[in-house]
Amino acid sequence: MTTDSTTATTTTRRGALGLGLGAAAATATGGFRRARAQHPAEVKVAVLAPMSGPWARAGILARLGAEMAVDEINNAGGIRALGGAKVKLVIYDAGENAERAKNAAQRMVAQEPDLVGGEGAWLSSFTLAVTEVTERAELPWLTLSYADSITERGFRYVFQSSPTSSAQARQTLPTILELAERATGRRPRRLAMIADNTAAPQGIVKPIREGEAARYGLTIVVDETFTPPLSDATPLIQRVRSARPDFLLLLSTAVPDDKLLVEKLNEYGLGQGRLPTIGNGGHWGAPELAQVTNPQILEGMMFTLSNWPGKGHEDLNRRFVERTREPWLGHDSLLPYANIRILCEAMERSGSADRRKVAEAIRSLDLQNEGPALLFPSRRLKYDERGRLMHAEMVTCQWRGGVPQVVFPEAIATAQALWPRS
Amino acid sequence: MRPGALPRLRRDILLLIALAALYLGVSRMVENSYYLLMLTLVPIWAVVGLSWNLFSGYVGLISFGHAVFFGLGAYSVALTMNWWDLTPWLGIAIGAVVGAAAAVFIGMPTFRLRGHYFALSMLAFPLVLLYVFQYLGYQEVSLPMKREDPLLWLQFTDPWGYIVVAVALVAIAMGISMAVENSRFGLTLMAIRQNELAAEASGIDAWRWKMRALVLSGAIAAAAGGFYACILLVVTPEAVFGVLTSAQALTVVLFGGVGTVWGPLIGSAILIPLAETLHAELGNIIPGIQGVVYGLAIILIMLLAPEGIFWTVRDRWLRGQVAPAPALRAADADADAGAARAEPLVPPAPHTAAPLLEVEGLSKSFGGLRAVDDVSFHVAPGEILGIIGPNGAGKTTLFNVLNGVLPADAGHAWLAGEPITGRKLHAICRLGVGRTFQVVRSFPRLSLLDNVLIGAYGAGLTGEAATAAAAEALERVGLLHQAAQPAGQLTNKGLRLMELARALAGRPRLLLLDETLAGLGHEECDEVLEVLRRLRAEGMTIVIIEHTMHAMLRLADRFVVLDHGKVLAEGAPRAVVEDRSVIEAYLGKKWLARCST
Repeated sequence: MTTDSTTATTTTRRGALGLGLGAAAATATGGFRRARAQHPAEVKVAVLAPMSGPWARAGILARLGAEMAVDEINNAGGIRALGGAKVKLVIYDAGENAERAKNAAQRMVAQEPDLVGGEGAWLSSFTLAVTEVTERAELPWLTLSYADSITERGFRYVFQSSPTSSAQARQTLPTILELAERATGRRPRRLAMIADNTAAPQGIVKPIREGEAARYGLTIVVDETFTPPLSDATPLIQRVRSARPDFLLLLSTAVPDDKLLVEKLNEYGLGQGRLPTIGNGGHWGAPELAQVTNPQILEGMMFTLSNWPGKGHEDLNRRFVERTREPWLGHDSLLPYANIRILCEAMERSGSADRRKVAEAIRSLDLQNEGPALLFPSRRLKYDERGRLMHAEMVTCQWRGGVPQVVFPEAIATAQALWPRS
Repeated sequence: MRPGALPRLRRDILLLIALAALYLGVSRMVENSYYLLMLTLVPIWAVVGLSWNLFSGYVGLISFGHAVFFGLGAYSVALTMNWWDLTPWLGIAIGAVVGAAAAVFIGMPTFRLRGHYFALSMLAFPLVLLYVFQYLGYQEVSLPMKREDPLLWLQFTDPWGYIVVAVALVAIAMGISMAVENSRFGLTLMAIRQNELAAEASGIDAWRWKMRALVLSGAIAAAAGGFYACILLVVTPEAVFGVLTSAQALTVVLFGGVGTVWGPLIGSAILIPLAETLHAELGNIIPGIQGVVYGLAIILIMLLAPEGIFWTVRDRWLRGQVAPAPALRAADADADAGAARAEPLVPPAPHTAAPLLEVEGLSKSFGGLRAVDDVSFHVAPGEILGIIGPNGAGKTTLFNVLNGVLPADAGHAWLAGEPITGRKLHAICRLGVGRTFQVVRSFPRLSLLDNVLIGAYGAGLTGEAATAAAAEALERVGLLHQAAQPAGQLTNKGLRLMELARALAGRPRLLLLDETLAGLGHEECDEVLEVLRRLRAEGMTIVIIEHTMHAMLRLADRFVVLDHGKVLAEGAPRAVVEDRSVIEAYLGKKWLARCST
């Protein structure tokens, strides 16, 4: 096969180039020759995310986050335990469907035999397909995807840096109630829910409907499910208005639906915090949501999600905004940033670029208030035996003056939650 | 088995075996796991393409919904493995059964629809299932990882194992496709594709054959989907029921060549690696550009090779080469024809015998328009009856009512004493009524013999008997020497005669010919008339609609003149054309007045 032989040649060429560089470095540094010979000149980590197709924006944000992590590590001297080896980021495009994502993963594994680990692939169905490949290659893989199934397969090399879907479902209601009680001094009683029929929102509303609501003394006054994309939000919001709930769970999964729903809430005089409204997921904090609606309409809108930069991350946020010209550092860039940081931390701790040893180092991480643990709301970093983040806490944000601010948990909050007392 | 199929089949099977061996050999040498994955996906999409081709390629009803079968197959494997810890081998088999069952449910309501309507309704099924599987909570079903018994669980550590299974799957799908294409089944499907009405008029029960094709196609697509699940290891509604999946099935076939077993193979072998290479090489530079280049590549190839690569290359290859007349077949045919002559199927009968066709008070209305109004006539055995009349007189409608295309509102018709009104189209054909249509429908790429064979199959003949009947029919119209020629190379006259032969191959007692002479030149017309006269000499009874009056005067024994659905005149040709009312109907009152002065 011609293609095969070409790749073989390029690999050899690349290898030879690497060897040459290594040799040059070794000669230049003279006395460190032995140390150099044991350590690679660079270590490769990968981001595999949708860079094209309908989810390309998420992939771009992931790349921006990961690039920042790599640059910062390299500027600080690379991986010290590996003799200052530089980190090299390789990007793979997961494309627009699970097959493409799996193909990309296979290509990555085949063409980067010296890859240490990676992060991706944003959409949980992509991550499921990708990790089937990385697991067989024993490649440590970190992901922000939160479907429970990702860590239910008995895999040893997958690490989930977000609370799982079911954990988020369990945490959502108590988090919101606590927030309301702190802001107003009393517990809400009447709950309205609007959810689309995809996996994540249904994972949240189902347990609420089946007993959680009753457990927290809530009456469900509206319970509506819609199929995205929504063409008109009027009937849904009309029902909310006439039922007069204390708060509304608005569980959509895409910016276009978000836009229709918040605009309709405004039109009916329920927006801008008059009816406390809570969404879920990173899309609620996307800058493009502010672009397609406007900051006034979003004012007061809350959303829960697995991570968001809060108190103590101001500098991180500033650095990101400076280098990327994005309006702010959000969920989709923060977690890839954190994941690459964790991979490098594991390399430091294991003193190795061997993927098995690095995976073992990730498994044994137990950090609190230091290193990459600072990038998580609980300030803790430890994965359980399934690869799930332990002590995972959700973050609640609220749109304030055109910017999402963390309002919960208090430790990292940058603003007081706005929750009307009426 | 179609005549001449055996050597072609032998050649194709040898080629297939050689290709499969080569493919397995080459892939064995590949070590890059990514290329191995590509080498697995190519055969899988080829199987999906073959499945699509088996139905849409041959029947001609474009399916935009083959993802429905593919998805059901994939979910059958994923769910049975999760629920009952069932091996994917059984899962794939179950998937094939589910796919076949789905085909029955889908075919029942949709076969009423034709053309775009069918295509659109097929589009709906996978979309419905997509939402159903989402609703049922199967958004992401992953196949449990099995670290032991790789063969049992289809989870090979050596990726070459997947290629072997995929190639085996292609071989099976190719085997089925080849068997279909070279048999009565395939020819019947192609007949339906050309003209469902004509096929039914040749005695073919179109609904049943379409259903058989869809069931087979559904089972194959589902098996491919089941195996695909083992490759991807995670099944999501979007991945298997998505529009892209249906489109992929269609694209590989259109690209490679429709209506041939090799088309899907060629299409898949080019498009799948092309898309992936573009994605891998360009996607990293300008994300999304791969889709643009891929689209342009498809547009370019479709412009240069509109019928798909297979046909374009083959036509270029064969250009200038004339297919050698198969001597063997001609000799066979002669022997068969001899046998047929020894035992004449259509006994010449004297004109005095009881009428072969009796029509009494036949009526048909479309709303307020009485297209056929109380028409009665009879046709004696061995007679040529000409039906003439101005445009819109109801001639073709009369034929349509006679051979069961349309039900009669009132009246009766008997063929040799048997009532034929109220019977189905193909049943009337089997009683012995052959028919040709105003617009000739042929299969341009098939040989003349294959074209005519459809008529023989329709009449219920099989195997050798069908071939003999087709050869005999060709001989009767004088086309036997061209039997091996593709119909696409025939002149208009040749096509008319071929259609006549197709009707004759069903060994009818009565022929209904609808404007057989239309569009023919003077000399060509004479030649066809000669054939018709010869048929009459052999004892055939013919009812013919025709506008060419001078030809009719030379051919017909008797005329029936229709005007506004009613019988205006009836009798010997000369007497009829001089009838004042007939001239008036044809040429108007003014003309009549001028004639009289």
